Amino acid sequence: MRFITRLKTIEEAKKLNQFGIDIFCLDTDFTAKKISKFSLKEIEELQNEYPNQIYLLINKMIHEDDLEKLTKFLKSIKLLNISGIVIADLTVYVLAKKLDLEHLIIYQPGTMNTDTYSEKYFSDRKIKGITISREITLEEIKEFGKNSIELSLIGHGYLDMFYSKRKLVTNYLIHKQITGIDLKNNYNLRLNEEIRENEYYPIFEDDFGTHIFRSKKLISFNEMNIFKELIKDFFIERIFLTDEELINSIQLYKNQITMSEFLQKYPDYDAGFYYKRTEKVKGELDES
Amino acid sequence: MRVELLAPAGNLEKAKIALLYGADAVYVGGLSFSLRARASNFSLEMLEELVEFAHNLNKKVHVTTNIVVHDEDMSGLDEYLKELDRIQVDAIICSSLAIIERAKLLTNLEIHLSTQFSVTNSSLANYFYSEGVKRIVPARELSLQEIQNLKYNTSADLEIFIHGGMCVSYSGRCTLSNYMVGRDANRGGCAHSCRWLYDLYNKDKKISDNHDFQMSSKDLEIIEYLPKLLDIGVTSLKIEGRMKSIHYIATVVLAYRMLIDDYYNKELKPLSFYKKEIKKAENRLTSFGFMEGDTTIKQQLYNYRSEMPTQEFIGIVKNYDPVKKLAEIEQRNYFKKGDLIEIVSPKKIFKKSKVDILYDEDMNEILVARHPLQKLYINMDFDVKPYDLIRRL
Repeated sequence: MRFITRLKTIEEAKKLNQFGIDIFCLDTDFTAKKISKFSLKEIEELQNEYPNQIYLLINKMIHEDDLEKLTKFLKSIKLLNISGIVIADLTVYVLAKKLDLEHLIIYQPGTMNTDTYSEKYFSDRKIKGITISREITLEEIKEFGKNSIELSLIGHGYLDMFYSKRKLVTNYLIHKQITGIDLKNNYNLRLNEEIRENEYYPIFEDDFGTHIFRSKKLISFNEMNIFKELIKDFFIERIFLTDEELINSIQLYKNQITMSEFLQKYPDYDAGFYYKRTEKVKGELDES
Repeated sequence: MRVELLAPAGNLEKAKIALLYGADAVYVGGLSFSLRARASNFSLEMLEELVEFAHNLNKKVHVTTNIVVHDEDMSGLDEYLKELDRIQVDAIICSSLAIIERAKLLTNLEIHLSTQFSVTNSSLANYFYSEGVKRIVPARELSLQEIQNLKYNTSADLEIFIHGGMCVSYSGRCTLSNYMVGRDANRGGCAHSCRWLYDLYNKDKKISDNHDFQMSSKDLEIIEYLPKLLDIGVTSLKIEGRMKSIHYIATVVLAYRMLIDDYYNKELKPLSFYKKEIKKAENRLTSFGFMEGDTTIKQQLYNYRSEMPTQEFIGIVKNYDPVKKLAEIEQRNYFKKGDLIEIVSPKKIFKKSKVDILYDEDMNEILVARHPLQKLYINMDFDVKPYDLIRRL
């Protein structure tokens, strides 16, 4: 299993590598929920220094106006020998295929990869991998792995649960005539729902819209024995984490600190949907 | 080729009403594999009856099979798709690759890609077209210009949402409901958590007042843009709302039917005429969504109560006796003797009347109609037909 996280700066790469990060995922002009941004020159430098250890993240929804720019970008990176392109919109696969780059594509739409038929579909199309969706159970995850395609999972950190093209925070501030709050790269915004007193959902706005995240961070330490057999790429999502929490997270999975030590320091973690089945219809669950 | 007007229907009665009031096609959900789980979904027998009804009118039935499947949902899928093929539904609307692939393998069903897949450009539309998907329902986040460019650059048919509720998120990309209440948004259980009330914090400082941070969008209504959409040549104009009432469906469908026909006949009235008709049943605030590009506060709902009064739907005509000049009706809302009423027919005829005579089903004279679905008789000086609707003015 390879451990992957996003890189904030070129300088931190060496340290993260030493702690056990195998692959660096780099934000691009086409990255939503950016924590950084790397130019082509920087991507090339990192690729040269860390060959076979670079993925690129292209996770915005691709609109008609993006097609030409994105095609140009894909042509540029074709020369760089990067190891993977993580995508959320299947459009990127379509464009990459035209450039014979589909073998680099890792399809990570967040939702949608909820069934093993999707695994077969993309295996047949010879892409590098798919990331299993964020809302399925451990039992469902165990059914994957019967096709020749790499499986990945975002197994740690704040997972997003909502992506709107609307600038919801900007619009609200305009509506309320509130000034003086800088939204650019503001990772400190939280939502609290009316009747869920102690739940705070991170909300982040960027050029591509608004993103809302789970209130609790996902942790997968107890499931690693299963994942080790099944999952090729284990993503640690570091948005909203301090650098120290990221390092401690890596140390956890590398067995350098214990689960109890980790949770004592960082209590706001849970097992997400691994043991929580969702209802298909309005049932006995209390929505109030 | 004339554009298709596609209407939603939560049950057989609504579907028939939609078709009679001017929809060229209806989309409905079966008992399985469909979102909007709380809409009264159709059994195969009901679907068969609807297909026969629609085909007799030279109209179409599309069936939504648009859940994002998990492995456990696959049981029974093949048989269901074969049955839909056997009863000759005209298309299925899918978002799951598994359902698309099984339908291609096992049936001759025409496949439409749901807005749940959030297609936002021509490259992806063309990919699915090459994979056997005839029609794309693009993301509701597209501007008019983007729709025009998409149409220009793709061979796929385009089905465009023109009226009704909108997801706040890109459709199919939201798990708020899953996380917050354990109900799967992409398998019919959406709890509409995006419409709840929140407080907004910046670090530890509360910015909002009393949970007034809202994400809700106004409903979509793009009448001003319809002539342009018709010029662009999209295949289908789609109304949202499988859980809406028959009055809503009849009124909204009829208004758009009139607009489309008037456009093609070069007899377009001022657009305010069609808007006024819609408002007789539409009680939510509306806006033009993403038609002009990025949304602003004008497309957001910031008032907790946004519903506005509409004209009240009081009954549906079941029969008419031209000799006694009495209409047999089924009551749907309270009304009383003396009320002024308007009768709306699928023939785009609107007539006014007054309830001077009101009988119960045993022909006893009564003063008020209080019981839903009660059979009643009222005076009517002009000919009315089954499925004509009656509103209180």
